[in-house]
Parts: sequence; structure tokens; C-alpha cells
Amino acid sequence: MDTKELETTALLAQIELGKGDLARLGEAVSQMLDNFRKMNELDTEGLEATTHALVTDNRVRPDSPVPSDLADALVERSPELEDRFIVIPNVL
Amino acid sequence: MYQTFVGLEIHIHLNTATKVFCGCKAHFGDEPNTNVCPVCMGYPGVLPVLNQHALELAYTVSLALGCQLSHRTLFDRKNYFYPDMPKNYQITQFHEPVGQNGSIEFALADGTTKKVRIHDVHLEEDAGKMIHAGDMTLVDYNRAGYSLLEVVTEPDLASGEETEAFLQAFQRVVRYLGVSDGNMEEGSMKCDTNVSINKAGAGLGTKVEIKNLNSSRFVKKAIEHEQKRQAAVLEAGNKVSQETRLWNENRDVTETMRTKEGGLDYRYFPEPDLPPFVPDASFLKRIQDAQVELPLARKQRLVREFGLSREQADFVTDARFTADFFEQAVRASAASGGSAMANWLMGDVQKELNHFNLTLEACPLTAGRLASLQSLLDAGRIHTKIAKQLLVSIFEEDKDPETLLQEKGLESIATEQQLAPIVESVFSAHPNVVAAVKAGDARQKGFLVGQVMKATGGRAAPDLVNALLAKFLA
Repeated sequence: MDTKELETTALLAQIELGKGDLARLGEAVSQMLDNFRKMNELDTEGLEATTHALVTDNRVRPDSPVPSDLADALVERSPELEDRFIVIPNVL
Repeated sequence: MYQTFVGLEIHIHLNTATKVFCGCKAHFGDEPNTNVCPVCMGYPGVLPVLNQHALELAYTVSLALGCQLSHRTLFDRKNYFYPDMPKNYQITQFHEPVGQNGSIEFALADGTTKKVRIHDVHLEEDAGKMIHAGDMTLVDYNRAGYSLLEVVTEPDLASGEETEAFLQAFQRVVRYLGVSDGNMEEGSMKCDTNVSINKAGAGLGTKVEIKNLNSSRFVKKAIEHEQKRQAAVLEAGNKVSQETRLWNENRDVTETMRTKEGGLDYRYFPEPDLPPFVPDASFLKRIQDAQVELPLARKQRLVREFGLSREQADFVTDARFTADFFEQAVRASAASGGSAMANWLMGDVQKELNHFNLTLEACPLTAGRLASLQSLLDAGRIHTKIAKQLLVSIFEEDKDPETLLQEKGLESIATEQQLAPIVESVFSAHPNVVAAVKAGDARQKGFLVGQVMKATGGRAAPDLVNALLAKFLA
């Protein structure tokens, strides 16, 4: 993976990388991509993609409310509140 | 000449009691950040679990739109960073949505119909709500995780007017199915609009996406504005840039929001926390059972079956409740046709609903009561003016027409035997008028009619009054 591509990937993931990180990670990511490339060589014609192993049944829940007793605690963890709204710097 | 291509991404809130991946209430208007939990607040280590009812509604819509239903539907992560989505990704469907390749037929203003292809129907979660105020933004996550259904059309619409009609038709479809209230003003239906124009025959142009459209009227206006703006760009020899624009409802224009650059990449990948969903036979049976006759089909049938005019059929089928009410009333009143019943609904019933500020669903008039009112008319036991009085009484007193008729003694005086003595007494009370009419002064005949009506408290059948006067004056 070239440095430019790695920088874009880091930007998309909102990760700040220094020069040293770029060199080190560039090598590690390239190795990962090589491994994927290797796997891609296998003939998977006619096989359905496996997104989840070990799942046999549908996992769903009924549409009945189960209110969380953590709501207040979660909201109170916010650095700033106003009338229960969470206050952040303007992002518009 | 330019050709316009419009495609829509319509989002509807599904009518579920809870959010799509957690047990929090999906309820509009509660105090901010009360319907939240670690799942919808995006805390680490939590697991989403699918709301079965949301899936049922999603499949119900897909089937109604003629889509191929997925036999194994999958969820994906769409990665983006914005504070309305605390997980930093939205759970949506990308690789294997609930439904694909459907279509909707809808009626255009001239009465002809048009088919719009549906690319796909997928289930996802809504984001939180943000209020931007000065140098801060207020965030409420009550809405984060609401069941949201996205219906993506192919670019088959050709104008603002057509798109407005399509959206109204789509809204009726989701309301008929009972899956969403489809209210654009309240945000339970939203629509991103993709517009491109090109020289006729040259295929699609460069796509511009317009957001912030919260009524079908604004969608129409925004498309019309884009047609002009993009034509001017092309006329000047420039290229339309692919971008997202916002509708500014105060200035009636679209404005650049962001230009699509390479940087925008959602990096979709299968959601590891949600297993695939495989609908079984009983699930599919429920989806099948949830299907209803769709508004356009119903409208066409009512025209065929009851001889309604297009205007009548449009009114009656606008809401499913009204259409059901109409059909029940027609079937319950033996003699009368559909046209009379449609006229009641469009005219006097609507007038009383407005007057009492009620809806048809929650008013004292039932289909049975309207049918018996019409049956009294058909049987000649009351005439139109009395029927209208009785309708008002039904609204005021919440009683059956027959009961009101007895209590108020409003039954028509409709036999010659009953009416003749009254006419005779009017004649003997006003000999001069009778003489004048007999001498050819037809204007004074109205006075005599009025006197008969007065003497009978308005209950005399008007046709019979006229017939008897003619006979007695001859």
C-alpha cells in the first residue's frame, strides 16, 4: 500500500498518523493485503459468502419496549448538558 | 431541449413501538435523551438485536412494491463520522437488502398512469436529531436507532410535477399498508432527490443530490429550480458538478452543501454483530396476509364497480379508512349507487367534519348510519333538506338516523292523502294569492309553496307539493 492510500485510509478512519507510523503501518498493511490477495487466488466459484460463522437460527426480538435504566447515567456522563440535550461545538 | 431524470431515495419511519436494534421506545416528542440506552448511544461492547416487527414491515412494503424478496437478508456498516450517529457508523443494508427490482404505478394529473422502477428497499437505523444554535449544537439521541426504511427508485421521473404526484401516491401506499404515517412535515417521511438533465436522447446527465426537502411541494420546486440552474450551466458551456445541494425554502433555491470528492467513502462491510435473517414460511405468510388492495388499484376498481367519476374516486380513495367507509356504506344501503354516497362524503359530511373539527375515523357518523340516512332518502321517507338536517343531528347527538327521525318527527309528508288538506287550508287562507296565480302571476306560486312548507314544518316532499299545487290551480 502506498503512503497516499494509507493517508486517505487514516483520514477516513479519523486517525492521526505521524511519519514513523506511516512507514511502520504501511509495511504491516501491505502484508495484510498480500495475505488477502493470496486468499483471493482460491477458487470460490459457486460458494455462498460466509458473513457469520456459528449462526444457525434467526436472532430477533419482539417489538416490545424494554426501557433502559441507564439512560440518566449515560446522559450525565456528557461533558455539557442543556435541558437534557448533549451540548457539542457547532458542527454545521 | 433537455430531458430531466429524477430518482428518489425515500425514507420512512416504520410504525414500530421500539427502535430497530434495541428495546428503547420509538416515540416522538419525549424529553431529549430519555429513550436511550448503551446500544443506541454506541457504547463499546453492546450488541444490536433485530426488531422482528421492523423486518415484517420492511418485507411487507417490498412485497407490495413487487420486489424480489431476499431469502437471506444481510446488514452492513456504513462508516461515517458525524455526531448524529454516536457509533460512527450506521447499520444499514448494502449487499443483500430486503427487496430489489420492484415498481410502483401511479396516476398522473391527466388521469394516465406511469410506472416507476424500484431499485431496492432496505432497512436501516435513523440518526439522532441536532439543533444548531450559535456556536453550539444540541444533540438528542431519542431518534437514533428508529426503524427507517429506505426505498430507492430508478431515475424514471421526468419533472417536478410528476415527482410530486409520485410522492403523494407513495405516501398513500405506505398509509394503506399501515407501515408508516408517511407525514413529511413531521419528518416520518423524508426524501433525497437526485436530478440530472441532458440533451434529449443522450442518456443521464451528471447527478445532483438535493437534501432538506420536507414536503412534496418543495421537492417539486427544487426540481424545477435545478432544471433551470443545470440548463444554464450547460448553456454556458460548463459541466454540472456532481454535488449535494440543500434546499433553501426561504429563497426557493438550492445551495451547495458539499462536493462529492474521493474522500467520501463509506467503506461498507457486513455487520459482524447481526446475523443474516432468513424469513421462514410463517414469516412469509404474515407478509402475504398484510397485503392490501393498493390505492391505485382500488381507485380503478371503484370507478369500474360503482361508476364514480375520477374526482369522486380520488377523494374516496385518498385514505384507506374513507375508502372502507365508502364501500361499507354503499353495500349497506340497498337502493342507492356509489355516486350518491361519494357526494355525501365529499360534500356535507366533509363540511360537518370541518365544522366539528373531527376526522371520519373519530366522529359519530358510521358507515351504517350514512347508509340508513341514504336509505331513508331512497325510500322517500325524507327529502334532501331533512337528510342534511339529520346529518347535523347525528354529529350533535350521536344517534341513529331512524331514532332521530322518530324523536324529531321529521318524516316526510309524502302522500296526497296527508298533504291535500294542508294545501286546501293554505288556499282558503290566501284566496287573493290563489286568484292572482290563476290569473297568470306565476311569481306568487312560490309564496304558496312556502306556506305549505311552513305549515308542515318543512316536512312536505317538494315534488308532491309542486304536483298538488299544479293540480289544485288547474
